[in-house]
Amino acid sequence: MTAKQLKIKVKGTLRDLLAFKNLAKKRMQRFRKAPATRYSSLHVNDLAARLHPASQNLVIKEVRDETKSSRTFTLAADREAGTGEIAYFQAGQYLSIRETVEGCAITRPYSIASSPADALNGFYEITIRKTDKGFFTGHVWEHWKVGRKVVASAPMGQMFYSPLRDSRRIVAVAGGSGITPFRAMAREICAGGIDASLRLIYGCSDEGDIMFIDEFREMAKAHPDRFSFVLVMSCDEVTLEGCEKGFITGDIIARHSDPGSDSYFLCGPDLMYDFVTRELVSLGVPLRRLRREAYGEIKNPSRFTGYPSGAEGKTYSIVVHGRGKTETITARGDESVLVALERARYAPPSACRSGECQFCRTLLLKGDVWVGPESDGRREADRRNGYIHPCASFPVSDLELELPTAGTREG
Amino acid sequence: MDNRWNREYDAVVVGAGNGGMTASTQLALLGKRVLLLEQHNIIGGFSTSFVRGRFEFEASLHELCDVGSSEDPGGVGELFKELGVEVEWMSVPEAYRLIVPEKNLNVVMPFGVSEYIDAMERYVPGSRPAVTKFMDLADEVMRALQYLAESKGNPDRKVLMGEYGNFMRTTAYSLDQVCDAVGVPKAARDILYAYWCYLGVPTSRLNFTIFAAMINRYLIKGAYIPRYRSTEMALAFERRFRELGGTIECGTRVEKILVEKGSVTGIVTASGERIKTGHVLCNASLPRVYGEMVHPESEVPEMALRSMNARSVAGSGFVVFLGLDASPDELGLKDYSYFIYHDTDTDALYDGLYRLGRPTVQAAVCLNRAVPDCSPPGTTIMSITCLYKPEAWKDVEPKDYFKLKNELAGYFIDDFEAATGCSIRGHIEEIDIAAPPTYARYTGAYQGVIYGYEVDSWDSLMPRMMMMKDDIYIKGLRFASGWGFRCIGYSSALQCGRTEALLTSLDMDQEKGGAAS
Repeated sequence: MTAKQLKIKVKGTLRDLLAFKNLAKKRMQRFRKAPATRYSSLHVNDLAARLHPASQNLVIKEVRDETKSSRTFTLAADREAGTGEIAYFQAGQYLSIRETVEGCAITRPYSIASSPADALNGFYEITIRKTDKGFFTGHVWEHWKVGRKVVASAPMGQMFYSPLRDSRRIVAVAGGSGITPFRAMAREICAGGIDASLRLIYGCSDEGDIMFIDEFREMAKAHPDRFSFVLVMSCDEVTLEGCEKGFITGDIIARHSDPGSDSYFLCGPDLMYDFVTRELVSLGVPLRRLRREAYGEIKNPSRFTGYPSGAEGKTYSIVVHGRGKTETITARGDESVLVALERARYAPPSACRSGECQFCRTLLLKGDVWVGPESDGRREADRRNGYIHPCASFPVSDLELELPTAGTREG
Repeated sequence: MDNRWNREYDAVVVGAGNGGMTASTQLALLGKRVLLLEQHNIIGGFSTSFVRGRFEFEASLHELCDVGSSEDPGGVGELFKELGVEVEWMSVPEAYRLIVPEKNLNVVMPFGVSEYIDAMERYVPGSRPAVTKFMDLADEVMRALQYLAESKGNPDRKVLMGEYGNFMRTTAYSLDQVCDAVGVPKAARDILYAYWCYLGVPTSRLNFTIFAAMINRYLIKGAYIPRYRSTEMALAFERRFRELGGTIECGTRVEKILVEKGSVTGIVTASGERIKTGHVLCNASLPRVYGEMVHPESEVPEMALRSMNARSVAGSGFVVFLGLDASPDELGLKDYSYFIYHDTDTDALYDGLYRLGRPTVQAAVCLNRAVPDCSPPGTTIMSITCLYKPEAWKDVEPKDYFKLKNELAGYFIDDFEAATGCSIRGHIEEIDIAAPPTYARYTGAYQGVIYGYEVDSWDSLMPRMMMMKDDIYIKGLRFASGWGFRCIGYSSALQCGRTEALLTSLDMDQEKGGAAS
């Protein structure tokens, strides 16, 4: 049928053509009748801002020695600085703390150790273990006192319970300070906020330095159906009763859980992360029942097989375009591009420091980087267009890059 | 330039979403000095993707309309070619599968007009004449729109009356009204209307012209998606824009659009930088631009506010992203695009968009059916989308938010499984859920709305085109997005951005001419 033969009328030819002719007039009439007011509600944007504030101004309300090497800091909204409430979160998420240390603006991710219910009561807790040469933890021990102001990101991260994906029997495998997100989960589960049970397999190296041990004992006693734990002590002499000895292995995991149906959540240092992942896979645990916290910042890239040998001892130059100028800085082969930028007093945005969150996404114009196998969270189109995540990228040649403008702070 | 300003550009584009990207690339192609500002740290707006575990999820695009093949490109395909933006397009295999369990309706509709009419005849015997008539009419609508575009707003009335009389007689009416006139049987409408949810307005109000243009383009040109999610598209625009000398700055929120005596004079960023320009193209949502960005407030004409209050904002999105640890074959996912509705009455379905209960509508996609290697071998990427009206989220508090998302996502998965017979639940390796606050968070869109204004017949493509000059309330301020004259949708936003850029360029030429005379 050609267009000429087709003849459609809706209300009659004349009325239809009049309707066409009057479209603009009718539209204008409707406009004229409407009120001349601005929008009355932005509740969806407001909800988004409460859940995901760009940053949170916090103040330290309490400092508590958790063990001989760790401290718990209670953080609340700093109303003077304009943060009215702290953001709600899901147990297992972290805050990226933004601090200036020795002139360098840096970030450090710390799991929230308190529960979401605690956040509704106005506080977060983060528990930090002091490390021997800790650039950041040394600063914290010196300066983080009651009343100190701290700036943090919104709660972030993907290691939380999903009722649609996970088994209702969660097995948490924690090493050292990797325990903190599971303290949040344990509290939430015992309070009934998550309808699941938590079995904790907790690897520690010093009987006198076990975070949250008293609290875990109390929770296990009060909620035996919801929470239980076993310690795996790697020290030479073990005096505590009921512990497993050595490192966390597949055998130990299989003795204390059901690899055929439980969901495993893993958080700990990188070597444990690699080892336990292999053990769980060999127990037949499919990836859908394995949740892992972000890998963490790679400290020693040369231990990876794909890393070009010798690069760790070298120094490279990076041409940086940003903040309206171009500068050349130096970078060590064994430190991430992000650390090199931070050392050079740039303050690029970052959060997870594991290649996952995209905050530090940067356009690499020239040169090559090595990216850790567990830390390449780039999108395929990003990879193909030369974008890198500096937090998970190590220079293996001289580089040239364009600093992102996003959130770049004064160093 | 006086010292009130830090920098100066011919044009500033606010927001690097679909409309902002085409607008800025087009202006740069014309040799204009353009600054593209994006508040998020990544460009693309809704055209983006994200990684969870070993999966990379598409954030928003189901299928792009009017791309066409490289040999036979559609309008959007031409746009990419002419702007010099290269994307690897993957074709979507079929138009859609529609399932309405309550009506025992389960059909697969192919691309191609005659194939579509044949399939309809098989499902609804006797429907052929009316559906053929409908498709012929849709074809005339499309040709009329092409003629209007070619005539640059000055059509010859005789040509319009002579060649496109049916288009003119139907453009003031709803889809239902025109289907009544054409005599499309009820059972055929139930199938034909499936795409209504891409426009988000019930067929009793949804304008016929825009629906006709959409189905015509889908059936004739097929549907395409970029191989590496819509991120590939966004980054291809970025690359081209830089190549053309454009300046792009992410993480830079525009706080104020400065207006003096009815004309744009510049913008102020959140960090206080003042940038001089006489031309601002907003990808940013209309209510936020007039509601809070134009400065001083007294420069917002009353009519601009009235024009917004006269209309209703369309929906925001709710998407369940699933990374599954089995292949589409193992899961029984045969198709790319699934529409699952709990009624054939689109008014009833639309009412459901105001409620946070069991959903009435879902549009699901199995990405692997268009991009087989989008996820590792033996896995599948699926997404299930629904629209919600912002009002539905009014009383949601942060403490309820995560539970609510999981509860709603559970309904969507259950409904999908019940409708298709596929077993999904036991295969979920990664799940993420985007809700209206997610869209608001990443783009700043007013109420997280992903579309723009509803396309009722009184405010659809034609009346907006007829009033393009009237809709400019501030000289130098134009809108390049789904809020603009081309109405709702990905391809509309892309094309809108380009047209507004061309019009901006004409404005600039006129200013120059004016200054010289």
